[in-house]
Amino acid sequence: MRLFQRTIHDLHQMLVDREISSAELTESVLAQIEAVGEKTRAYLLVTRDLALRQAKAADERLKRKRDVAPLTGIPIALKDVLCVKDVTSTAGSKILKGFLPPYSATVVERLEADGAVFLGKTNCDEFAMGSSNENSGYWPVHNPWALDRVPGGSSGGSAAAVASGEAIAALGSDTGGSIRQPAALTGIVGMKPTYGRVSRYGLIAFASSLDQIGPMTRDVVDCAVLLQAVAGHDRRDSTSSQRPVPDYLATLRNGVKGMKLGVPKEYFVAGMEPAVEQSIRDAIGLFEQQGASIEEVSLPHSDVALPAYYIIAPAEASSNLARYDGTRYGFQAGSGRNLIDEYMQTREEGFGAEVKRRIMLGTYALSAGYYDAYYLQAQKVRTLIIEDFKRAFTRVDALLGATSPTVAFPLGAKTQDPVAMYLNDIITIPANLGNVCGVSVPCGLVDGLPIGLQIIAPGFREEVALRVAYAFEAATEFHKAQSPLLGAAA
Amino acid sequence: MPEPNAELSSRQVEHVARLARLGITPDEVDRYRDQLRKILHHIEALNRADTTTVPATAHPLEERNVMRDDVREACLPVEAALENAPSREDSYFKVKAIQE
Repeated sequence: MRLFQRTIHDLHQMLVDREISSAELTESVLAQIEAVGEKTRAYLLVTRDLALRQAKAADERLKRKRDVAPLTGIPIALKDVLCVKDVTSTAGSKILKGFLPPYSATVVERLEADGAVFLGKTNCDEFAMGSSNENSGYWPVHNPWALDRVPGGSSGGSAAAVASGEAIAALGSDTGGSIRQPAALTGIVGMKPTYGRVSRYGLIAFASSLDQIGPMTRDVVDCAVLLQAVAGHDRRDSTSSQRPVPDYLATLRNGVKGMKLGVPKEYFVAGMEPAVEQSIRDAIGLFEQQGASIEEVSLPHSDVALPAYYIIAPAEASSNLARYDGTRYGFQAGSGRNLIDEYMQTREEGFGAEVKRRIMLGTYALSAGYYDAYYLQAQKVRTLIIEDFKRAFTRVDALLGATSPTVAFPLGAKTQDPVAMYLNDIITIPANLGNVCGVSVPCGLVDGLPIGLQIIAPGFREEVALRVAYAFEAATEFHKAQSPLLGAAA
Repeated sequence: MPEPNAELSSRQVEHVARLARLGITPDEVDRYRDQLRKILHHIEALNRADTTTVPATAHPLEERNVMRDDVREACLPVEAALENAPSREDSYFKVKAIQE
């Protein structure tokens, strides 16, 4: 097995045993980026020099056996919505072309402190708005399992990088499914932590009451390791929780025997592909064999989660994106007659079609005469969704369902129909609105395309979601399947 | 819910774009009108939920009134704050005339 094909925990052991150096490992991953990068187009920027410098520093730490953390020397990719001081960070948008952040995100600082190695900034839908990565202001990403298909989105570059060996692990962000859905479509593990579990300081904002940063990895152990490294209170993000962070590895292997797992009947949505449904039913059967009791539950407001999301997220986005006016950073049209005209031209030229659509949708929903009918009603529906989850979690420990109703679809298949594109996230969005956590794990392949199982646990019970996910992974081989780009190198 | 949203007009699209400070071409007005109508039609489903006695959730936080100690801290230096400015003069961001 080549180094770039391995997991964090596997490589950590090899690094600690001095069997390999971080420099060798980093070179191995950089060589894979060279080899397949033109096929996946997963990165917007590869920070080769920075990576090699960090690898060298990590090797020093490993040699001295001091300050060695589970991520010391591990090459990681960062979604382009995460600010890294003095490294171009664009959120996949032309309006931020060339933007050099004056400070780093807290998650970036935490990984740096652990001695991780940064490979670069991964492609994503512009400002994380999308489910296919086709809304990138630069270029679309190709799925390593089938290059004519989308990797999902918006963290499609991070997902493709992990699935193709162009990173050992990655960070993404999830506002309505943007970690879990691309993880499902590329056969990797991806977790959206509970809102407040991970600091958002230095995350380029999309919808501030929903955005969360989370791990994208090759297996569940790695997911726990990466979450552990970034989770916890940050005084620079007043919305980050002060709750203590549990030791995610401590309970990971406790199994599901005696646990109660719920299956929301509403999550078998119309339009779900039969092969996806079959894989999920098989997974449920497997949990039963492992000694969990399975119960059908109802989340009755699931059908109004998507419309509520498409009011709340665009409303918050329209406010957050007001700052991109060509004055303080990024692109400036420069040809406006006066200030307002300059704003309008800068935003016309700098934003892509989907971002404009959502800004207008959000502005409309917040405008005089429409606020109560749209925004206020959506916020009330959000309460109903929170209550749905609370009720379900009085009966069961975690919920099981598909992550995406379909496998990866061909590039271009849904670009002309925004509503069809939005429906991709129909079973990931409720977890964002309901303030719970969710993880997607590989649970099958159909015609060579991965399927994801979603496990949802109550707010701040990431250890429960991870424990259920690990029990599934330990009993199956699905996570070992490698994309042609990753496996061919074996 | 306001009645006419299924018939969102081109004028409303232009108005919203203006509020959002987004320049759009006449072609785009038509395209966005059609797309936004379709999206709003889908969003009508919000009405299916009975929310007469339901309070709104603006954010999911447990924390309340998070304060920091009232002590002076270093802030971003002027040069760093201006580093990305497309146009500047001295220690200021430079913008076009607000009034002509």
